[in-house]
Amino acid sequence: MLTIKDLQASVEDKEILKGLNLDIKPGEIHAIMGPNGAGKSTLGNVLAGREDYEVSGGSAELQGTDLLELDPEERARLGVFLAFQYPVEIPGVSNLEFLKASVDSVRAAQGKEPLDSVSFLKLAREKCKAVDLDQSFLKRGVNEGFSGGEKKRNEIMQMMLLEPKLCILDETDSGLDIDALQVVAKGVNSLRDPNRSFIVVTHYQRLLDYIVPDYVHVLANGKIVKTGGKELALELEEKGYSWLEDGADNGAQ
Amino acid sequence: MTDNAEIDRQIDREYEAGFITDVESSTLPPGLNEDTVRFISKKKGEPEWLLEWRLKAFAAWKEMTPPNWAQVKHPEVDFQDISYFSEPKSMEDRPQSLDEVDPELIATYVKLGIPVHEHAALAGVAVDVVFDSVSLGTTFREKLSESGVIFMPISEAVHKHPELVKKYMGSVVPQRDNFYSALNSAVFSDGSFVYIPKGVRCPMELSTYFRINEENTGQFERTLIIADEGSHVSYLEGCTAPMRDENQLHAAVVELVAMDDAEIKYSTVQNWYPGDSEGKGGIYNFVTKRGIAHTNAKISWTQVETGSAITWKYPSCILKGDNSVGEFYSVALTNNFQEADTGTKMIHLGKNTKSTIISKGISAGKSQNAYRGLVRMGPGAKGARNYTQCDSLLIGDKCGAHTFPYIESKNPSAIVEHEATTSKVSDEQLFLCQQRGIDTEKAVSMIVNGFCKEVFKELPMEFAVEAGKLLEVSLEGSVG
Amino acid sequence: MTDFHKGLLAVNPADSDLLAALNKSGRDSFLQQEIPTRKTEAWKYTSLNALTSHEEGYGRLATNFNANELATLSNIPALDAHRLVFVNGQYSSQLSSSELSSSESSANVVRFSQANSEQQKIIADNIGSAIEQDKHLFAALNNAITNDGVLVHIGKNEQLKQNIQITHISTAQKKAFTVPARILIVLETGANATVVEHFTSTGDQQNCFINAITEAKVGANARLNHYRLQLVEENSIQIGGVYVDLDRDANYDSFQLGLGAKIVRNDINVNHNVGGSHCELKGVYLPQNKQLIDFHSNMEHKVANCTTNEVFRGIMADKSKAVFNGRIHIHPDAQKTLAELSNKNLLLSNEATINTKPELEIYADDVRCAHGATIAQLDEEARFYLQSRGISAAEADVMLSFGFINELLENLELEAVRDLIRPILAKRFGRDEELMQHIG
Repeated sequence: MLTIKDLQASVEDKEILKGLNLDIKPGEIHAIMGPNGAGKSTLGNVLAGREDYEVSGGSAELQGTDLLELDPEERARLGVFLAFQYPVEIPGVSNLEFLKASVDSVRAAQGKEPLDSVSFLKLAREKCKAVDLDQSFLKRGVNEGFSGGEKKRNEIMQMMLLEPKLCILDETDSGLDIDALQVVAKGVNSLRDPNRSFIVVTHYQRLLDYIVPDYVHVLANGKIVKTGGKELALELEEKGYSWLEDGADNGAQ
Repeated sequence: MTDNAEIDRQIDREYEAGFITDVESSTLPPGLNEDTVRFISKKKGEPEWLLEWRLKAFAAWKEMTPPNWAQVKHPEVDFQDISYFSEPKSMEDRPQSLDEVDPELIATYVKLGIPVHEHAALAGVAVDVVFDSVSLGTTFREKLSESGVIFMPISEAVHKHPELVKKYMGSVVPQRDNFYSALNSAVFSDGSFVYIPKGVRCPMELSTYFRINEENTGQFERTLIIADEGSHVSYLEGCTAPMRDENQLHAAVVELVAMDDAEIKYSTVQNWYPGDSEGKGGIYNFVTKRGIAHTNAKISWTQVETGSAITWKYPSCILKGDNSVGEFYSVALTNNFQEADTGTKMIHLGKNTKSTIISKGISAGKSQNAYRGLVRMGPGAKGARNYTQCDSLLIGDKCGAHTFPYIESKNPSAIVEHEATTSKVSDEQLFLCQQRGIDTEKAVSMIVNGFCKEVFKELPMEFAVEAGKLLEVSLEGSVG
Repeated sequence: MTDFHKGLLAVNPADSDLLAALNKSGRDSFLQQEIPTRKTEAWKYTSLNALTSHEEGYGRLATNFNANELATLSNIPALDAHRLVFVNGQYSSQLSSSELSSSESSANVVRFSQANSEQQKIIADNIGSAIEQDKHLFAALNNAITNDGVLVHIGKNEQLKQNIQITHISTAQKKAFTVPARILIVLETGANATVVEHFTSTGDQQNCFINAITEAKVGANARLNHYRLQLVEENSIQIGGVYVDLDRDANYDSFQLGLGAKIVRNDINVNHNVGGSHCELKGVYLPQNKQLIDFHSNMEHKVANCTTNEVFRGIMADKSKAVFNGRIHIHPDAQKTLAELSNKNLLLSNEATINTKPELEIYADDVRCAHGATIAQLDEEARFYLQSRGISAAEADVMLSFGFINELLENLELEAVRDLIRPILAKRFGRDEELMQHIG
């Protein structure tokens, strides 16, 4: 599904990713954990194509297509979905219009006709229900005045609507209480599919109780320094990250 | 409102700089005509080109009318009732250094706390002292000349560096820019001249201290600072005048030229006599200050304005070069019957130019305090940015606080943000302080100082302390 | 008399005893005012050239029109309204519903020329009283030349359910002409009304100068909801304004929309006269091509305990120019005032211009006043968010531009007004059909 080789990226001339390698097969869930400032969020932003992130080397291919050359919307239409850590509020642009515009363009890229307004509304309401969001959210501005949890659920709802190939969840668990966390996890799990892959970026092991990963990677100092199964997350929970960070330095020597 | 009674109960303290120096001066009788201009030029032994330059300005001035758009009210100034030149007799002998200057004059500055002796406490500051129409001399000449820095009275620079003066004087503020700049160009008497050579970081703070002493005398100084490529200078001016019942005119022009990659930091602590608590007397401060910033250059104006009966002053930046930066940090405090209309202009011409405006206005007594500013994004100001914050603090319900920002943009990629707020020293704030054992006067002064912090931190350290004290003194009598 | 004054006064008012005094004082005031130039602060950025340099001048013109063809234009679909329609300044009974006027009814909507003696008294007592004509050149002009108008009078505690719609249509004419339009709204104590002013024109070449002045006297505890929609074609000129007097605890809630034309200038002046009153003013301007639009608002807080909340947003496209001047004036006794003004602008082209000047003039200390003005671009974060969901950059820009304005439309009480203007605005941003399918 996704192949990342020796990816290097920087923000404002500060090097954040320093040669990251990752290979994700269809249907797999990969968790990426690591200390603050390790570059976890950078990975998602680079894959989604945020302008402030300068890629200085390496490659990232989605099913053989070089992502790094594409505009953000082209990546989205190919099936890359980033659930933002801090979804931006866009007052004045209604959530429903936004969702329709998004679904229409992704469908168009797949050669499908746009949904008519009635069917779309029906679909959107259905997805709202699935993530436990009141339908009134469809009428409000995009994320406008939403609580932290509502924003995250809105992200998952979009993911369900767009049915992407690669879902990147950027610290989707941060700021969520246990109930909201379960709603989010339920949404994600409902999308599990042999043809869909997930990258779950998180700081805490807690989320991985609900979204069980196939692999856990530790990202430190811009590289993946350790890879293991889901039990690695528990180990990290217990021991923290410092032993691995030191290891990263030793490894570099 | 309720705190006014408390606030108004405070003591009046005298304007500390209000004494008169008793020296014999030769002063031109009041009146202004072409002969006055010729007299001044002759007195300074100026070359012909400069006399011509002055006469041209005078001709322009005669055709102009005083600006009337500012939020200030004052009786019309009778320009024939002012003396345009006054110098202490002792200065007619042209002393060669400050050591030769009449001790009575030197004592004036010592009394004001100005470091005119090189061995004095503020040894890191070179000073030019201007008394009425003449500069008494500058300190640290030798030390400065080691690094090629020129710091001298402009009357001297006319003779010693005519090519620089000729090239730059009037290049930033044209003679006929406005009524007062035209007047200044015709009759300017003295002022400071600074040149910082390429790549030089001026080794010490430079400062000029202006003093009006004579009665019925106007002061028309002219300052020109040129920072050549990659150089850096920090300059400070201070001003005081005796307490006199009649209004006196101060119409200065300051021009700054920051060449590529140069930086000029210009700070002012203005404490001209503000008039008495009845609004009698005080200086009319009508000043034109402007700098031009070339590529990657930076000009930063910081001003603390507490004095003058009327202030009309808009230190400005023309951000001509790409990536140039302009800053304006201002505290303007008015009390009693003072009126201030002050602010800045940021003219963005180059790409990616940036400007920041922080203005803090404090009105007390029956005073009027206005911020007037212009931010202009020209068609070429691609990616330019401005941030403006204007805050007003009102102390008492007899004063006024006004904000008149003009914002003009012709470039879609330029970003301008302007915010203004107004507040008062609240009962709750005062009560909190009082409850913690702080008296009202101290509390007000603390609150005002906090209000001005963002600006004070831009001042050279020695002066930040002075500015804080000055505010405290200026506020006295406002509370209650 | 200068050519400037003569030209604009060319429209003689009709002989009307009712308006004679107003006409005379307006004329005197107009004549003694100076011709605005670039040095006149209130006209610093707006040139009147297009109006004053017109060769033939803008006189009065009697026109013929086919009301049937204008029916759609004069209608605001789904607006339940009592409707008065004027075409080129002439009343069209065919396009209007009948006037609301009877001695029993406590709600009257009637032309000055049709007013009964009671209504005439109301007009005489109130007209011109909310306007400082010596400071407002074009209000003085209107006082001088107006020969008819509409009186909206709502009696004590009357809650008028039906909206009032007053529409001015201008049609293509060969000759330039002036339309003085005047509305006087008087709400007695506790009354409540919604007035929708609507200016529109046929799509052809326009030659009309509309001098439209609306005056509102909002009584104690009364509430006026006022919409003013300027949807005229770009060759028109419209200069005028709204002058409001607020009594104790009165409410003025207004939405102003201006599309821009050869010249559009609106002065909105609100006087908080007694105490406890509130003004909620929202406005949107969207000039394009070479249009000009100028909003000057002035909030006079003359007394204590009043509030103002003012929000204006503008988007300038092409070679257009917008001017915004928002003044808040707190008089010495206006303690406990809360007044806020926000003005945000977007420039869409290299040749568009915005000049904005929010002003605070404060003479009382126990007040909370603030203003903010920005000129900015579309939010990069928001654009990336839309793009990351597959929406093209071009469509994202259209959606965000529309959203920038839509924020102010969302809360409009009258859905019919929203439905009328949303597609008009959408067209301004998404000139390409493709790009506007998700807005409006």
